[in-house]
Amino acid sequence: MKKNVVMPSLKENMKEGVLCAWLKEEGEAYKKGDVLFEVETEKVVSQVKADSDGVIVKKFAEEGDSVDVNAIVAEVSEN
Amino acid sequence: MSKKPDWLKVEYSAAAVNEVAALMKELKLNTVCNEANCPNLGECFGKHTATFMILGSRCTRNCTFCNVTHARPEPVDPSEPKNLAEAVKKLGLKHVVITQVTRDDLKDGGAGQFAACLNELHELCPNTTTEVLISDMKGSKESYDTVLAARPNVLNHNVETVKELYSVVRPQANYERSLELLRYCKEKAPDILTKTGFMVGLGETEEQIDSLMDDLLKVGCDILTIGQYLQPSEKHYKLVRYVTPEEFDALKEKALRKGFKYVASSPLVRSSYRAAEALGVSGKKE
Repeated sequence: MKKNVVMPSLKENMKEGVLCAWLKEEGEAYKKGDVLFEVETEKVVSQVKADSDGVIVKKFAEEGDSVDVNAIVAEVSEN
Repeated sequence: MSKKPDWLKVEYSAAAVNEVAALMKELKLNTVCNEANCPNLGECFGKHTATFMILGSRCTRNCTFCNVTHARPEPVDPSEPKNLAEAVKKLGLKHVVITQVTRDDLKDGGAGQFAACLNELHELCPNTTTEVLISDMKGSKESYDTVLAARPNVLNHNVETVKELYSVVRPQANYERSLELLRYCKEKAPDILTKTGFMVGLGETEEQIDSLMDDLLKVGCDILTIGQYLQPSEKHYKLVRYVTPEEFDALKEKALRKGFKYVASSPLVRSSYRAAEALGVSGKKE
């Protein structure tokens, strides 16, 4: 089943986050709990983990992009 | 934003975070995890633990390191103690940490609400150990007595920084008053563990840290936490430097050598992070 992965709100009133690194490539499979990408906020770098097993279908954000909270960063296929 | 060192990476799982956040919202409770934008929120909420922040989400002080909102405080919620105990029960916590926004507007500084929360917890969750992280309550011994009479297992009050930086980091606080709080509580209730914590990376020197540790031991402080200062935004106190994990290890060794009973020292240590470990218990019920 295809679904969208969005930029999470990592703190209250967060408007956007900098996607500083992708840890999975397009077409790459991942397991629940794997880190998909990293987001830099003022205090730390957060590693965003997958909630289910799946495959990255298409990325909509590149490393270094500032992405609005809840905006789509990738389309994935999950079981 | 300055580039983060590799050791400042934290994990985040939306599903786990949302579950705890929803429970807090349902019971009208605040967590310092959320209000202070704590870097460990993902890990702690992921493990279904949280540090409760009572007496509202607005603080009457304006410390330059802190992310908690400084504004006119809300009225005290009489249902908060019951809701807090309910949340602890639902989360199955074996050890709970309760902190507060500083309430200089209240005569008792919020001591009565702490006591009410502890009493509810003793009633509803009798096997859960308790830790309070209190403000200086303007130095009121009567307020400290109120909190101590409700029998927390650990009484924590953070000094936050070395004496020399108080005027710029905690302008409305007072170094000697904080030491006196720890001294008085230990003298009044020797069986209750006293605890404090400070940040590094604010520009303090090694000698100043040495003096701080010595002062804390002189007032009988049992437990010490040391963590990295992380600047919440451009308008907050400017970060001076990132302290390395090796330096944190050296600080821990030094503190233990000097005589603290338990020390947690690493970049992401916060005063309530894995607090149960100091008591030799895990944070969750088995």
